Amino acid sequence: MNATKLAKSSAVGTAVLERTFKQKLLTPVLIGVCFLLLTLENISFRPIKLLKSLVNDAITYSAFIINLPVNFTADTSKSFLEFFNFNIHQENKILKDQVNKLISEKNELLFFKNENDNLKRTLGIRNQGEYAALLVKVIKEDTSEFGKSFSITKGSSENLELGQAVVRNNVYLGRISEVNLLSSKVMIVTDAGSRIPIVIPSKGVNAILKGDGYSNAELLFLPPSSSLDNNDQIYTSGTDGIIKEGLYVGKVIVKEDKNKKKKYSVDLGFKEHQLNYVSVLKLKR
Amino acid sequence: MRNFLEKTRFYIPHLLILLVIANDSLLINTWIAPGPIINLKYILLFYFCFYQPDRISVISLFLLGLVFDSLQSTPLGMTSLCFIVASKLIYFLKKRRTRANFQNEFISFGIVLAAVQILTLIIFYYFSKTSPEYSLLIINTILTLALYPLFRYILQFFYRYQI
Repeated sequence: MNATKLAKSSAVGTAVLERTFKQKLLTPVLIGVCFLLLTLENISFRPIKLLKSLVNDAITYSAFIINLPVNFTADTSKSFLEFFNFNIHQENKILKDQVNKLISEKNELLFFKNENDNLKRTLGIRNQGEYAALLVKVIKEDTSEFGKSFSITKGSSENLELGQAVVRNNVYLGRISEVNLLSSKVMIVTDAGSRIPIVIPSKGVNAILKGDGYSNAELLFLPPSSSLDNNDQIYTSGTDGIIKEGLYVGKVIVKEDKNKKKKYSVDLGFKEHQLNYVSVLKLKR
Repeated sequence: MRNFLEKTRFYIPHLLILLVIANDSLLINTWIAPGPIINLKYILLFYFCFYQPDRISVISLFLLGLVFDSLQSTPLGMTSLCFIVASKLIYFLKKRRTRANFQNEFISFGIVLAAVQILTLIIFYYFSKTSPEYSLLIINTILTLALYPLFRYILQFFYRYQI
């Protein structure tokens, strides 16, 4: 079959469109459509937003289906490697010890939580708004030069809104950056455009956490006099009024350069590409 | 049967670009490297458009661009415009070329990549409220350019075109 003939039928409706327009006219028309779409990007006209949201939903779920064989291959190879893990008994023993340790820590935390609530009641301090967690499935993760995000299975139909925090086991992962009808996009904390207010309670320091676009994040606007130590815990401060305060973000890693000047980096509390289910924190009204 | 095989072989570049667009995060950019270091979609686009300009139609490029924009939350229409401009630029550069050698091809790829990245920045400046991280874009462009010969070599195993 002729290659040119095939090229003409390579997209849905191409043949019809090319019969309507001459080949020379098709390119300027499509460039015009691109500019029209770009112009509509900034117009908050409800029907257009709804249409865009439906298109995004369709593409997101289609990409999920396209990705299924790739994900299946990746999962199978992982399961295969796990099947031949001969250290499983030793790992089980270590995990059992860790579980026991965590149970005792949890009991201790419950005691401190009750004590904290009693003190707050005595001092008349009111808690910030209460949050409800909505469990959602991660459809796919996206990494490009323009951002790092992942798509989730709930959208505006479940009252999700822009800026809501997304967590996994109380570890902050990111915030919702786009809401469609049946899906949403979450900007991961490592995205170059992500900035969140954080607090380091052990040092009483507030700062901003900025993603580096790869798989790490850095601390900005640290007070000049501050001196952090290795393993200082980082939590969300909630000063923006959107993200819940006290969500664990990660821990500080200190490195010294040749002039003995401290440089801080952050060891985030989660691993990317291992997210299956996450929770969206919605403010109870 | 032969017709079917020919058709399948013909559509493989389309599928390959679609898979790269839908799976950008699952390929080199996360499994091998820590982040978005390479623009595989432009390497594939350049390779297929350079050696056989008729292979991928303008409408296919438009639709593939829309898919990428929707998945990456970039301004809708941006990548479609970049793809169409890139394909026309490739065609123009190929027509102007006097000698067929790797050096000319590599320079053409550099010109196309630079043009596309500049166009992306212009679109972000005028049509988006956010701006991309410039350092990421620069690293991405340089590494894409540097790794082009490797991917060209791999692609030539499967598609050996006559220049």
